[in-house]
Amino acid sequence: MRGKTLIVLCGLAAALLARNLYVMLLELPDEAAQGPIFRIIFFHVPAAWTAFLAFLGAAGASLLYLLRKDLRYDAFAVALTEVGLAFAAANLATGMIWGRIIWGIWWTWDPRLTSMLVCWVLYAGYLTLRHAVEEPGQRARVAAVVSILACVDVPIVFFSIRWWRTQHPQPVVWGGGSMDPAYWNMLFLNWIPLLLLGAVLTALRMRQESWQREIEGLRRRAHAL
Amino acid sequence: MDPRNFTYMFYGFLAAWLILAAYVAALAGRERRLQRRLDSLKRLLEDKEKGAR
Amino acid sequence: MTAPAGPSALESAVEPAVRRPAGFLRSALTVALKDLRAELRTKDALNASLAFSVVILLLFSFAFDPSVEETRALAGGLLWLVFAFAGALVWNRSFARELPNDCLEGLLAAPISGAALYAGKAAANWLLLMAVELAGLAVFGVFYNTAWTSRFWPLLGVLALGTWAMTVVGTLFSALTVNLRLRELMLPLLVYPMLIPALLAAIQLTGPLALGQPAPAEVLVWLRLLGAFDIIFTALSLALVEAVLVG
Repeated sequence: MRGKTLIVLCGLAAALLARNLYVMLLELPDEAAQGPIFRIIFFHVPAAWTAFLAFLGAAGASLLYLLRKDLRYDAFAVALTEVGLAFAAANLATGMIWGRIIWGIWWTWDPRLTSMLVCWVLYAGYLTLRHAVEEPGQRARVAAVVSILACVDVPIVFFSIRWWRTQHPQPVVWGGGSMDPAYWNMLFLNWIPLLLLGAVLTALRMRQESWQREIEGLRRRAHAL
Repeated sequence: MDPRNFTYMFYGFLAAWLILAAYVAALAGRERRLQRRLDSLKRLLEDKEKGAR
Repeated sequence: MTAPAGPSALESAVEPAVRRPAGFLRSALTVALKDLRAELRTKDALNASLAFSVVILLLFSFAFDPSVEETRALAGGLLWLVFAFAGALVWNRSFARELPNDCLEGLLAAPISGAALYAGKAAANWLLLMAVELAGLAVFGVFYNTAWTSRFWPLLGVLALGTWAMTVVGTLFSALTVNLRLRELMLPLLVYPMLIPALLAAIQLTGPLALGQPAPAEVLVWLRLLGAFDIIFTALSLALVEAVLVG
């Protein structure tokens, strides 16, 4: 039943994605200033939104873990964090490829890029920390605190770097101005399959955590015998 | 306009999906490993319980 | 090594509390004094972080030629990197020093809240780190020939705010990682990225002040950022530390 729901969600995501790809490649015109490369935005931006949503959800689940002490919340938090990291990596990679064409450079220390990188490093640290703790209760507790702190830290990093950068001449100027409604529509439409995919991956990762708990329980029983 | 504009659009799409595919592959690998460990533990427990009886 | 100091300080914390629950500030002060006394007896963390700061400043003088004007522009960044490294040595010891003889268990069993224990330890770490930083600043002044004493008081204020930011986060993670086998590795890995906003602000403010120049024009922005970071993370740490220590 559970598995079937996931397969249906996956199929839905694939169908939507195929339809979106068709529209964005064949029906939407090239963006006037940037050309075809602008279409990267349809993956770049929704990937960032998905990642931030995942990290926010992970902080919420971590808080719930600290309040209720139920390891299922911890499983939810780690699943969301891993999926968030994958989407954040996709966001960074697409951003760099986009920047290479539009700015001529792979990387610039602009607030958005820098804070996404800091965010990535923080949550990668969260996963590394989890590997260093063996006892599940302690691991969940320590990880929950880190997740909450990281979630608070990332917006502060963003604003601090923005203040820092406005003191200096900007190396690049983000093409300000409004985007055509057709592009906006596609941006949100393409977010849906990414969100579905994220949900499926999170559910799969959570199931693995429950298996892990089952394995630990069986191991204890095997030792007792 | 940069002549690589169009190809880099595809590189971008490709990069995004390759990263997600790599994550799915890692997930599948862990799934297999956990399943194997779970099976072997279950078998071990059955054997031990039979031996105890 | 803290065994002699642990129990006696503990007793003095427990005794009055049996009669009436000790107030937050009072118990925090007791913990802070206990930590400072223990540290001043052995001077383990103090010596290590002082020596480390001097060595790093020495190395920097080879990485960046101290006699050229461009290097002096990096002063803020160099100093805060040294302070952050020195700080890690102090935080590492903060909770780990309570592990031998189960002192940590004793402290947790004492009738003080986890938040008070944490606040006391943070205060002690802050004082120790401030001492190390002032000594490091003096060494920096000699090596790099800077007139840092001419702006001493504003500089001290910036140091105090920046060090508090490092200390609240560092001490919380010291409590988080105290039982881990990779403690010394985990602590900097998690603390430094989280400190980026505070370090950024402190670097911007310290740069000119350490050279004896007036504070940068956007001084208020950076002070606000530093203050906000201090307040947010102090509040979060005090709220979360109970879960970290007691579970």
